Amino acid sequence: MSALWADLPVLTQDILWTLLLLLPALVVGILTLRGYAPWPLVRAILWRFRWPASMFVLLIAISVGMGIGLLAQERGLRRGTAQAADKFDLVVAAPGSELTAMFAAVYLQPSDMPLLPGEVYDEIAGHEDVSVAAPLAFGDSYGTAPMVGTTADFVRYLSEDRITGRMWQTSSEAVTGALVPLETGDHFTPAHGHGDAAEDDAHGDSELTVVGHMAPTGTPWDRAILVPVEAVWEVHGLANGHAPERAEQIGPPFDAAYFPGTPVIVTHSDELWANYALRSEFTRDAETMAFFPGTVLSNLFRVMGDVRQAMSLMALVTQILVAASVLLGLFILSRLFRRQIALLRALGAPARFVFAVVWSFGATLLLAGAALGLGTGLGAAALLSRAVTARTDILVSAPLGWSEIHFLAGFVSATLLLSLLPAAIVLRQPVVGGLRA
Amino acid sequence: MGLPLSVRALDVTSDRNRRLLSIPELEAPAGALIGVRGASGAGKSTLLYALAGLLERASGSVRWGDTDLLSLGPERRAAFRAGHIGMIFQDFLLFEELDALANASVTALFRKRSERAALRARSAERLTRLGLDAGVRSVASFSGGERQRVAIARAVAAEAPILLADEPTASLDRAAADRLIEDLVAMTRETGTTLVAVSHDLHLIERMDRVLTVSDGALSSHEVPA
Repeated sequence: MSALWADLPVLTQDILWTLLLLLPALVVGILTLRGYAPWPLVRAILWRFRWPASMFVLLIAISVGMGIGLLAQERGLRRGTAQAADKFDLVVAAPGSELTAMFAAVYLQPSDMPLLPGEVYDEIAGHEDVSVAAPLAFGDSYGTAPMVGTTADFVRYLSEDRITGRMWQTSSEAVTGALVPLETGDHFTPAHGHGDAAEDDAHGDSELTVVGHMAPTGTPWDRAILVPVEAVWEVHGLANGHAPERAEQIGPPFDAAYFPGTPVIVTHSDELWANYALRSEFTRDAETMAFFPGTVLSNLFRVMGDVRQAMSLMALVTQILVAASVLLGLFILSRLFRRQIALLRALGAPARFVFAVVWSFGATLLLAGAALGLGTGLGAAALLSRAVTARTDILVSAPLGWSEIHFLAGFVSATLLLSLLPAAIVLRQPVVGGLRA
Repeated sequence: MGLPLSVRALDVTSDRNRRLLSIPELEAPAGALIGVRGASGAGKSTLLYALAGLLERASGSVRWGDTDLLSLGPERRAAFRAGHIGMIFQDFLLFEELDALANASVTALFRKRSERAALRARSAERLTRLGLDAGVRSVASFSGGERQRVAIARAVAAEAPILLADEPTASLDRAAADRLIEDLVAMTRETGTTLVAVSHDLHLIERMDRVLTVSDGALSSHEVPA
């Protein structure tokens, strides 16, 4: 059976799982409503108690929206961060924290890292399986944009060659990410450091000119200014990676003797298997560490996955508690239409019909709240995604996914079953007491 | 055509076993119009509810035709009411948000699909006969007299052989009450329906074939109006 399930396409599994979750509610609905037409009465009761009913719907919507928003946002964030790491097949850095190196290389988070020497770079760049080997140099910024020194090949690789304007040709030229507010031809002087601690005048004598712009990548690199790695070294008064007789050269090969060091080397290989070989080859005790950012992220997600499951469970429990409170409210509300219920019994309505009226009333509120909650959750997730994207430059989008649909189906089913309780309790009230109420 | 009523050893007690009503014997022929009067709290409405099979703590027998209502379980009693008893209440008990026709035909909602259209048609016809427009106006905008006529239309639309009315004119002004009495009596006479009407209203009581007086939970007199 489990093998049969596993053989099904994922979409089919998701659809079946949704139907399975909804099945109890569907069965209850069919059994309760079969042969009756309680809707005119349900509508009348809903209209009579429209304000308290609206409040209940709103409460349910907020509760469902929070759960759905949380799930969608978490998934969107995971996808966004994973997508941002797509171009970073293998990162080589000095031994230390993979996480720190990944945050620095992929997400451009400033951090202090030891440098790799030119010999290591030469070895990596000269490897027959490596098609791109880019040193990254950090430390400067302009406004809120970090300045990253690297190679032209890496910029082309990162942007998939979608560059308007042109690539730099000298160490005083720069290419900007899509979100950097600099136009072609603009000049700027980089500050040393980032943010409030940046020293604006530290590199006062160097001026760079923007000559090109990368197309949007949906990564923090969209807000970065990319310059030849030589430019970063030069503004810091270091050798520029080339022997004096080739001092005007931009890009590799570099001379190991004049290579000031790089915290990170990003590599790309045309063959997937080669990345594994390279990782193995460049993972050396006390010298280099090589890692796949995708794997680091995956480990991070795995750790977060437990938290996510706990959060999902908490969200579900919270919502069931909210729904239970709402159902208690429904029961209290049903006391208000106790006379109408008693009237129906006095007129000869079967118990199941009265049950159907009360249950349908609760079910309508729950379904309306769930539907509104779905919209609220997705709206909130979209707003939150924009905020996260604006803050981190990681393109986060949170469209409706199957986990939200399953969550909603589970919630709807559980609460529709729960709403049988107030219906059953209302039914037990004495008819004459209701008529005289 | 109405059903005859036969009550034997009817005892109704409260939750605390206090006796609320005790009627050793009561007979009424099919199509009779029976008024029930008495002081407030004497047990008039309790008698009416017992005749409808609505009381849980009732013993003895309440026989309508061949059916002893008290021997039936709650669901069969409800089914009997649906098919045989129309009820009218002092404060109308309508669904305020529905229009006159929807209220008059409310019992169609729990009837077989095949019976619904006919019941709605009869409800519309009864409303017209009672001088009301079935229309789309919700009954919330109706006067007391109009509302009670809607309640009567609801009670008679199913052509039930028994009509039980609890203070049907109590919430109406004199003119409206008199018109309602005319309508009620005319319709029940016409169809031969057995009517039991609890009322303080002498105008209604004097139109009945027989009048029962209830006092302290017992029948104290049984008379025929002059």
